[in-house]
Amino acid sequence: MTDKLKEIRLAGLEAFAAAETSDQLELLRQQYLGKKGLLTEILKGLGRLSPEERRQTGQLANEIKNQLAGAIESRKEELLANASLFVQPPDLTIPGTGMARGGLHPVTQMCYDLNDAFRSLNFEIFSEDEITSELYAFDHLNFPPGHPARETMDTYWIEGTESKHGAERLCLRPHLTGGSVRYLQKHGAPARFVYPGRVFRNESTDSRHERAFFQYEALIVDRDFSFSSGLLLVRTILEKVFGREIPVRMRAGFFPFVEPGFEIDMACQVCGGEGCPVCQHSGWVEVMPGGSPHPNVLRAAGLDPDVWSGFFINIGLDRLVMMRYGVDDVRLFHSADLRFLEQFR
Amino acid sequence: MKASLNWIRTYADLPADITAEQLSHDLTMRTVEVEAVTNPADLVDGIIIGRVITIRKHPQADRLVVCDVDIGEEETSQIVCGGTNLYENQLVVVAPVGASVRWHGEGQRVELAAAKVRGVVSNGMICASEELDLEDLFPPSEDEEAEIVDLTALFPDACPGQPLADVLGLGDLILDIDNKSLTNRPDLWGHYGLARELCAIYGGTLRPLPTYQKPESAADYAVSIADPSRCFRYDAVVYEGVRPEKSPFHMRRLIWSVGMRPINIIVDITNYIMLAVGQPTHAFDESHVRNGIRVRTAKEGESLELLDGRELTLLPSDLLICDGGDKAIGLAGIMGGARDSILPETRNIVFEVANFEAIGIRKTASHHRVRTEASMRFEKAIDTQRCDLALGIAQQLLSEWQPGARLVAAGAHRARETESIELPVSLQFLNVRSGCPITAEAAAAALTPLGFGVCFDGRDTLTLQVPSWRATGDVSIKDDILEEVCRMIGYENFRYTPPAITLGKAVRQLGMESDRAIREFLAYRAGLQEIFTYPWVDDSFLSITGGKTDSLVSLASPPSPDHHYLRGSLIPGLLEATVLNSRYYETYGLFEVAQVFAKGEVSLFTAEEKLPLQERRLGLALAGAEPFPLFRLLKGILSQIPRFGRVQGWSFAPVGDKMPWADRNAWLRIVSEDGTVIGSMGLLSPKATADSGVRVPCVALAELSLDQMVPLQSRDNRFEHLPLFPLVEQDLSIVVDEKISWAQVSEAVSNHVHDAEFVEEYRGEQVPEGKKSLMFRFRLSGETGTLTAEAIDQMRSRLIKKLKYTIGAEMR
Repeated sequence: MTDKLKEIRLAGLEAFAAAETSDQLELLRQQYLGKKGLLTEILKGLGRLSPEERRQTGQLANEIKNQLAGAIESRKEELLANASLFVQPPDLTIPGTGMARGGLHPVTQMCYDLNDAFRSLNFEIFSEDEITSELYAFDHLNFPPGHPARETMDTYWIEGTESKHGAERLCLRPHLTGGSVRYLQKHGAPARFVYPGRVFRNESTDSRHERAFFQYEALIVDRDFSFSSGLLLVRTILEKVFGREIPVRMRAGFFPFVEPGFEIDMACQVCGGEGCPVCQHSGWVEVMPGGSPHPNVLRAAGLDPDVWSGFFINIGLDRLVMMRYGVDDVRLFHSADLRFLEQFR
Repeated sequence: MKASLNWIRTYADLPADITAEQLSHDLTMRTVEVEAVTNPADLVDGIIIGRVITIRKHPQADRLVVCDVDIGEEETSQIVCGGTNLYENQLVVVAPVGASVRWHGEGQRVELAAAKVRGVVSNGMICASEELDLEDLFPPSEDEEAEIVDLTALFPDACPGQPLADVLGLGDLILDIDNKSLTNRPDLWGHYGLARELCAIYGGTLRPLPTYQKPESAADYAVSIADPSRCFRYDAVVYEGVRPEKSPFHMRRLIWSVGMRPINIIVDITNYIMLAVGQPTHAFDESHVRNGIRVRTAKEGESLELLDGRELTLLPSDLLICDGGDKAIGLAGIMGGARDSILPETRNIVFEVANFEAIGIRKTASHHRVRTEASMRFEKAIDTQRCDLALGIAQQLLSEWQPGARLVAAGAHRARETESIELPVSLQFLNVRSGCPITAEAAAAALTPLGFGVCFDGRDTLTLQVPSWRATGDVSIKDDILEEVCRMIGYENFRYTPPAITLGKAVRQLGMESDRAIREFLAYRAGLQEIFTYPWVDDSFLSITGGKTDSLVSLASPPSPDHHYLRGSLIPGLLEATVLNSRYYETYGLFEVAQVFAKGEVSLFTAEEKLPLQERRLGLALAGAEPFPLFRLLKGILSQIPRFGRVQGWSFAPVGDKMPWADRNAWLRIVSEDGTVIGSMGLLSPKATADSGVRVPCVALAELSLDQMVPLQSRDNRFEHLPLFPLVEQDLSIVVDEKISWAQVSEAVSNHVHDAEFVEEYRGEQVPEGKKSLMFRFRLSGETGTLTAEAIDQMRSRLIKKLKYTIGAEMR
């Protein structure tokens, strides 16, 4: 009997080791350890043995039973550890499935990037109405009477008001700066804000010119603010857009609403400042105008220019987006064409 | 504007070795933007002087000859030529093999190769002026057909082989300056002003200009200004015995090198003066000017034929130059009249040097669309003192080049002189506003070379005398002085100083934050694409969507005739965008945040400013195949906006009139908590769908006011305790009358279940006509313990009973 038991043990361990699935193992478990299994059948003959033999054989049988049960469990673990969901390995070169579509307009994305940077510097974000008046678009900004921008050919005047003057002559805002005066009138100084928005010019369109485009204005007004500190605005924007510090320079520039006025250049990112056709071999690319608000503009905003000064910049968001992604046609931004917009998800 | 460095050097001692790059950089940093620097000599690179030795007939062609030309080498060069004015010993312009020319003055320049012309070898060509872009400098005479440039008379000492550029003296640097950067600097519209600026930059000396002396023998000439608010000064000088022949070559070359065409010595002198000091002048043929000059505004209906042949019908605001007989002879400050050209027969001239008010000139020039070199300069506001410079140069040039001319009469009316400006500026102001210390010496060193008078009181105040050429609007306040000082020191020499900032409260802008959260929800959760469309709407989409036009704001000069109105709703633009994209996509969603406009009178800042109504709105458009799922999707997105956008919630109800564009069975208004309608949503009606030409079966649209949304002070949803005992979930299908709504079912079960959720509707087989089957899922919870099977059955039958009594529901 002892020999038989030992035979069963050997056969069982071999069979278990050869099992390839947990189903096979379950069958083997029943075959060996079940109620009608081999071990039970053998043990039925225990009664015929002497008490001493019975004790010894019983002990051996138990031992074998535990051993076999353990072997089944460990084989089970082994099989699970090596299990796969696939009979045939799948083709893993097939691309992943897509996420939901949708996205923000690339101009909005750029605008939010810049907003985040300026919010971290405690700037407010400002927005204003698109229809304004000559008073805010030109008079308050120190544009001389008869300035060409006031003429119909450059600005979209509202029908019925086009031959009036000042506050009564309405237009789609040709730039954001007039709105900044409204902010200062309302909130006073010191002021620190950015002002993203869309502006409108009556001109013929091509790949570089649009009738509706986006600007991003930033303005600080504070006591005794120097233009040497104004570069903060420029640096914040360029660093956000390009992800690294970009060399900038300020040079003499004329705009009616600033004094001193600057053209602000950045090191050409195509040649790294070495000189190339893009920068006309100067190593610098003009990116934005800027300057200290003209005393007449501060006065229009109700501020005393002997107390308050500041710095202003205004950058074309469309152009920044075009530079960031290499977009070559500004008209795409208003196309509402998903084939274009979906590229910026 | 173009400027010649050679010309500038006649007024200024500048470093001799200055490079184009340096000049361009320094001027750009300090003063004006230099867009390009070119050397006119490059036009004739490789082109040399040749002497024609022999001329033979071409064996194969009647119109060609074969020349042996001495080009300074041991052997003569054989060149085939079609020139009609060739003669032996003639000094000509030769383009040897390897040089580039513009064939017959047309097309791109091409490099010459040795070639056979009708079988005869030609080593290069003898050039006509147009082939080297020199036609303005050597204008072909009208009667010669194929005239080559003849240098024999002009440069008898030129040697064969000598570079043409050397002989003509073309070596120069021409600065091309961006006109926009010059708008505030009338003093820089001439070489003398630029010379002054460069002297200030490089530390050179500016030479004085000749002064004007009226000879004692000269008679008085009658000049009167009828409107002294438009013409501040008018000087007329009469010269007799002029001979308007070709100008000396070097004068022609100078004028040509900065982009003007030499005409004759009289016209060239007027242009030269303008280019020298920025003061436009004019010469009238004296035989057309009777009894003096009178400057007056035009009479109603008066007309004038201009020098260029255009006939203008004048406005009463146009300023005219008339003669003593009141006959108009020129449009003041812009262009002379047709009949007063200086012709070769002209012998006596009236020379005009005048000063006109800037805005008037601009208005006339832009109204009649006649912008000239003169009007461009007068528009910038020139000082009256500059007339004296012009008179001086004119007198000197005429005496030098027209010795036969006599100044016989002169007269002037000087109504107003440009006033000098005295400006006190404190050093402290300069220091604070620049962010860097500036001494009185540094300020004086920057300003004195620019012509400012500088006087320092030894403590803090500089008193500055603004020179007349900067005193016509350009420099009038201390901030202008700040700019002058700092740009001359060089902005690149001011180090960045981080601003000192006092931090008050953290910025808190709930509306801005909600706006962004809503857009990000729509883009990244709802899967919609943000778009921007123009504020002007297409008339056809306006009518498809049933937009009324009487309340719309319109543009005086619209971008196109059918984009006259500004949008009063985002719907037309969204539909147009949906139609456009239906060519490439079947299922998609779009949204736009933008302002809409309606007639109105809103005065937020001043009473005089009456702006139209302007409201920020959010518009959504979905395109898909099945109408009701599309409607539900849109409703689902809209319901989630308050949660994600952190604004007060809203509900949906079919209140008011249907939107004109919507399906009569699928539209709702969006109603805020206080009962205000703040938006609408619906499916596009079959009619509007057909009219729009959209290529998808169904479009759902919504629009709601962002301005009327109320941002929450903080998030307002609350934590819910997890259920103590497991919830039991079951489905139930009931059959109800068609008129019974889900809202009624939901209401009926609300007291009996933990929550209930709509699953589906079904109509068709097994459901009687006029009825519908409605399936929903509900969850039950036990208050004291896990629900037993009996308890669940009990609750379910109570629910069924309630449904039967309240809405007549049968089980399915």
